[in-house]
Amino acid sequence: MLSLDFLDDVRRMNKRQLYYQVLNFGMIVSSALMIWKGLMVLTGSESPIVVVLSGSMEPAFHRGDLLFLTNRVEDPIRVGEIVVFRIEGREIPIVHRVLKIHEKENGEIKFLTKGDNNSVDDRGLYKPGQHWLEKKDVVGRARGFVPYIGIVTILMNDYPKFKYAVLFLLGLFVLVHRE
Amino acid sequence: MAVRNGKNGLLEKWRIDEKPVKIDKWDGAAVKNSLDDAAKKVLLEKYGYAENFNLVDGRLLICTISCLFAIVALIWDFLHPFPESKPVLAICVISYFIMMGFLTLYTSYQEKNIFLVSVQKDPAGMDLNHTWQLSSSLKRFDDQYTLRVSLTDGKSKHTREQEITKSVGAFFDGNGTLVMDQFEKCVSKLHNTLATEKKTK
Repeated sequence: MLSLDFLDDVRRMNKRQLYYQVLNFGMIVSSALMIWKGLMVLTGSESPIVVVLSGSMEPAFHRGDLLFLTNRVEDPIRVGEIVVFRIEGREIPIVHRVLKIHEKENGEIKFLTKGDNNSVDDRGLYKPGQHWLEKKDVVGRARGFVPYIGIVTILMNDYPKFKYAVLFLLGLFVLVHRE
Repeated sequence: MAVRNGKNGLLEKWRIDEKPVKIDKWDGAAVKNSLDDAAKKVLLEKYGYAENFNLVDGRLLICTISCLFAIVALIWDFLHPFPESKPVLAICVISYFIMMGFLTLYTSYQEKNIFLVSVQKDPAGMDLNHTWQLSSSLKRFDDQYTLRVSLTDGKSKHTREQEITKSVGAFFDGNGTLVMDQFEKCVSKLHNTLATEKKTK
């Protein structure tokens, strides 16, 4: 058998200790999950933290900025505000500014968006046949941001093997290490 | 022989109960853990007491329930996408953090530093089972290890404690290998002091 010395601690554990190691790992994952879901409930947005992926909003937001969103029903969407929205069928949220709004008497709106750094509005990005966005497409409004930190997320998405390696090593460390 | 003992053989190779314990002597947590384990071994193997798992089981139960709340939240949110799942998510998140609070209280006040609860069964078979508890402490970056043995008499429910503080350097050699003989002597002395005290009272 390979002499994997770092596993010595694990080999000496009884069933309860092994179960506790797995639970420990589970609790770390659960804590992260609960914080995320808690943020979702607090902000009302299904993705309370997003990373800016493109330079289409420069100089306001740069690629790699982390945005904190809220999606309160009471906040009306006005022209000139920055919204984060998702196009039907695409999973990546887009951060752009509202250009035009059509508003009905009952409060329903249809709006058009454009990135500050783009030369045309977003109609080319919308679903074929779709010319306006509606409230249901909105993920939230940016309320605060932290620059540069999101670069890590972008790197992890561009090099998925790196992401899996990091996660695997972290998981292994938590499982093997005794408190 | 190889076929029949195949499965047992693999398990035996996995378990390393007889291999001398070697740890990183600068890792405080590993040092304390190995001393605690060795003390447990002395009490359970040399004196043949039976380990009582209730304290540990309590902690495992709290942790398992917390993870269950998280799993329920995950699955519910997956089946009923976000806005509809808000109330269930809120309940799960709040319950999870309440359980975390429970866990902290439990480990601080119930478990304290106890790492072994064992029962010394009365050979006569009568109800006089004595409970031996081991707890220890080792401060961060410190070398003074304190081992506390407490004996609760089965009949009188009276608890007596005895503790000893020694530098960890007395039990580990330069390579980080635990010198079991030295440590066993120390633990046995502590144990016998309490045991004889009981007899003279």
